[in-house]
Amino acid sequence: MTEPVRLPAVNDMGNYEIRLESIGGLGANLCGKMLGELGLHHLHLNSASFSSYGSEKTGTPVTAYIRYCDWDKDIRVHSPVVHPHLLCIFHDALLSDPGVLAGCTKGTVIILHTADTPDRIEKRLGGLSHRIHFQALYTLPAQQIAMETHSRINVVMLGAMVKAMGFIPLVSAEEICRETLGKKYPDALAANLAGLRGGYEAAKLLAMPKEPTGTANKTTSGSTTGDAGGSDASAPPTAASPMPAGGLNPHFGNSVTNDLSPSRQGYIPLFIQERCINCGLCDSTCPDMVFQFEKGMYRDREMMVNRGLDYYHCKGCLRCVQVCPTQALIKGLESEHPHKEWFLPNQELIRKPDYYEKTGADGYITSESYLTEKRIEGGEV
Amino acid sequence: MASTEQTIEYASGNEMAAIAARQIGYDLMGYYPITPSTQIAENLDQMRAQGQTDLIMIAAEGEHSAAGICYGASVGGGRVFNATSANGLLYALEQLPVQSGTRYPMVMNVACRTVSGPLSIKGDHSDIMYMLNAGWIIFFAHSAQEVYDFNLMALKLAEQVRLPAVVAFDGFFTSHQKRRCKRFANDDSVRAYIGRRSEPHPFFDFEHPLTVGSYMNEPDLIRNRHELHLAMNEAAAALPTLFCEYAAHSGRSYEAVEGYCHEDAETLLIVLGSSFDTALEAVDLLRGQKKKVGVLTLHLLRPFPYEELCSKCRSARRLLVADRQDSYGAGGGNLSLEVRAALQRAGLTLAVKSVVYGLGGRDFYVEDALRMFAMAEDSDTPDFDYYGIERADSPTPTPCRSEFFAPLTRERTQLGLTQVSEKDGKAVVQGGQLGATTQIPKRIAPGHGACPGCGIPVNLNLLLRAIEDPVVLLFQTGCGMIVTTPYPKTSFKVPYLHNLFQSGAATLSGLAEMCCRKQQKGELPPGDILFIMVSGDGGMDIGMGSAIGTALRGHKLLLFEYDNGGYMNTGYQLSYSTPKGARSATSHVGKTQYGKSFFHKDMPQIMAATGIPYVATAAESDPADFIRKAAKAAWYAKTQGTAYLKALSACPLNWNDKPESERSVIAAAVDCCFFPLYESERGNTTLNYDPGEKNKKIPVLDWLSMMGRTKHLLREEYHDIVEELQNEVDRRFLCLKEKSANPYL
Repeated sequence: MTEPVRLPAVNDMGNYEIRLESIGGLGANLCGKMLGELGLHHLHLNSASFSSYGSEKTGTPVTAYIRYCDWDKDIRVHSPVVHPHLLCIFHDALLSDPGVLAGCTKGTVIILHTADTPDRIEKRLGGLSHRIHFQALYTLPAQQIAMETHSRINVVMLGAMVKAMGFIPLVSAEEICRETLGKKYPDALAANLAGLRGGYEAAKLLAMPKEPTGTANKTTSGSTTGDAGGSDASAPPTAASPMPAGGLNPHFGNSVTNDLSPSRQGYIPLFIQERCINCGLCDSTCPDMVFQFEKGMYRDREMMVNRGLDYYHCKGCLRCVQVCPTQALIKGLESEHPHKEWFLPNQELIRKPDYYEKTGADGYITSESYLTEKRIEGGEV
Repeated sequence: MASTEQTIEYASGNEMAAIAARQIGYDLMGYYPITPSTQIAENLDQMRAQGQTDLIMIAAEGEHSAAGICYGASVGGGRVFNATSANGLLYALEQLPVQSGTRYPMVMNVACRTVSGPLSIKGDHSDIMYMLNAGWIIFFAHSAQEVYDFNLMALKLAEQVRLPAVVAFDGFFTSHQKRRCKRFANDDSVRAYIGRRSEPHPFFDFEHPLTVGSYMNEPDLIRNRHELHLAMNEAAAALPTLFCEYAAHSGRSYEAVEGYCHEDAETLLIVLGSSFDTALEAVDLLRGQKKKVGVLTLHLLRPFPYEELCSKCRSARRLLVADRQDSYGAGGGNLSLEVRAALQRAGLTLAVKSVVYGLGGRDFYVEDALRMFAMAEDSDTPDFDYYGIERADSPTPTPCRSEFFAPLTRERTQLGLTQVSEKDGKAVVQGGQLGATTQIPKRIAPGHGACPGCGIPVNLNLLLRAIEDPVVLLFQTGCGMIVTTPYPKTSFKVPYLHNLFQSGAATLSGLAEMCCRKQQKGELPPGDILFIMVSGDGGMDIGMGSAIGTALRGHKLLLFEYDNGGYMNTGYQLSYSTPKGARSATSHVGKTQYGKSFFHKDMPQIMAATGIPYVATAAESDPADFIRKAAKAAWYAKTQGTAYLKALSACPLNWNDKPESERSVIAAAVDCCFFPLYESERGNTTLNYDPGEKNKKIPVLDWLSMMGRTKHLLREEYHDIVEELQNEVDRRFLCLKEKSANPYL
């Protein structure tokens, strides 16, 4: 065991606190666990860690929390980390949720995975440094590093965190990788260590922020789980009709107001309508009611005709691409198709929703079997 | 004395419970997975696969049976272990007084979770308080460390006084948060501490046969109960020695009631579970402001440590008890009611207030503890209230007042695209064309939260596009239910009801009969309405009795099973439909275990044996066949009696394959005959597709190799397992062929 480290900052309770904001599948849960073990087994710190309870389904927001304190102290609180010393954002798409940046203080160090250049990030965020408090902002193109090193985003981010925190020796992080990942997946160890070092080297410190003009708030009484999904700027109106007692829900079909596009992993089905023979196979395999068939004419015959796709609800599973017999549906990179002329919102709606609530697939995966971990690691089970 | 050496673990409460169970060396665990306690069985199964324990693990088909398995094993003289939560505990409840009343010790862990319904998986204490009258010793641990320590002490005490014991702790907060913990370095030390199990009346003594479970009249029965009461007193009396001995072994001291700064406290907070630790921070803050506050928690609920509790309240003038459940109508949760009773017994006249807080896993922050201390000191605070309720004028935001869809009236769905008539005693389907039936409005709205590529909505849409009558849906608990109805949203455009999966079919029986009655009385317009129960294969394990009962009674309804071969909603534990050899969170693969140890359940044949008029299997890889069978099943369900339709349903997450390729994986399951497509109409079986005849038959291994969960079976060492599965699949298929050829089979 190495010498005990000195924590650079602690809160009133004597804890150094870390929050990881991620999307299910990027490995934040395992990363949090590795940080916890790192503290206890290698840094001679007391540590605790947990994730937002519930979802580890693909595309679902996941939050992980880690607390460090001196070895002799106890970590007493069980609540989520509200004011992190280190906030690590595993995907820049998460920035659309104001809750992700909530609770930052002048002492917060932020790490952001993004492929954007620093000035584009500033632009996209409308002047991040004016909106919230933070001490320092590191960015890195984690996805690219993960691909180059054949590792996973979580080890790359771990490398960046080691750099940003400053008090953890890189060798200790390498050691925890050997212990956690090396034992289970020895073949992938070299790649993971390369990813760790890649993240350490690539994390770049951006210019220091100015004083903020407004702050994002994370409620301190919310649920650990419920908040994870967050809501975007076009949040639901609060003036609501009262719901009947007993949890009865008269608003039939109102899940249509969910925008499931955050579940997509970069790919979408593209529709080449002139190839379509209107066989209906796509509709039969789509789990998300994306295809908009209407009465129409095809080859001089009246029949049900595929008019387009409702991308609000497409999760990008690409089942339709596999079953389409005429390649009328093909796999495409979403980033290359910002405007889709065949985008057709659900045609059964009698009233357009006032807003769409961005959300991921939900679910209540609560186990931590090595099946799950291994999948997060990207390995075939 | 054995070594007292301790090692450090970084582990959650669930992991510490599993470690304790492994070190104790239990003989048997009977269990049924339920969040958030499932990890205990998962961890033990993993240890089993790696040869670290030889614990017999029996995955029951429900918690009631799990409790029964445990009871049988403990009567048989074994050391027995169980773990459950919430409605699982309630489902087992009937068995629990049997265990205590006949005085067989065992240990059960309860990772506390709120009781349904409405369904929620998060933590509170509404489950454990149902156990107060069960005659079990109940430890309550507020940390992962205590989960470990109490597991050891609970077994020792249970065997000493011959009562079963529970170790309860907060679901998620304690069960899932990883912390620094200590444990005995050597299993031998644990075993030496607990000692040998004595059996005053061994059951397996054929020279002295024993009757267990007599019928009793008064006055024997009241004496039996009195003995139980005395045993509980004996447990209470044994506690100081128990704690003392354990401290000598482990170096960790406990009391029945743990206090912090209570000696001179004028204001005391009493909380159970992980909130205690959080409250310590609040006490330190307030002590810094010279406020005389303290906090207490209980390590035992049964026997209730009222003397220790009262002795720690002596200096207090005000007390606030925070209950994480409510005994509705009693003016508080059970903890506060019992604290009030204890104080009254001790003649202490304190100002006692109580709040119900933190239900459904609502987080408890230091600020909440500070507010509670302030409430305790505020004379305007009512004696009993709920804490943390949002104001009534800001209810849970609902997306919109008005509807997004026009109601699915009969006129909108009865388009005549799929028609069923009767010919020669069989139902005949016309239409049902794939393209044309896209016109049938979908009964389920988009925006549900199923994983990308999930087979459940695919199968539901294939089923419902064939049905033109108005539809009523009942879902049993499972992925399909969870992802469609997260309050305040719902994906259903038709009347929908959820019930727990022990009684979905029963509930739908009642619902369907009521509709019929209302139509007879003229309170509802006439016309066919189709009642459909939707269940996963998990629901058809625990709810099989209810489904069979419904089928035997012959209610006019359709039982639709989506079979993804596992308990996917809780993280993929094995179901009885999981293929033999498949890896799951409760059938790990390791040097001493190859995956699931028994064959997949043949649910269609079980349902066929009930004599219902229609049983069929369908697969999305043949959508035309699917639509035809759905139409027939609906026709039988509305005209003849119960119908059962089962579809194989892809789960990319837990099958560990690619979402886009699921239809071909399903096709392979059909082509290898693992999932044969057939129907049984009024007892006559028709095989709809014989891959052998079409030269499409593939070995089972070809299908298994497409999924991560079964890929390991490609390895030579599992050759025998695959061969066994292949033989069983072939045998079942040949049986179907024979049945298909002979109307009397």
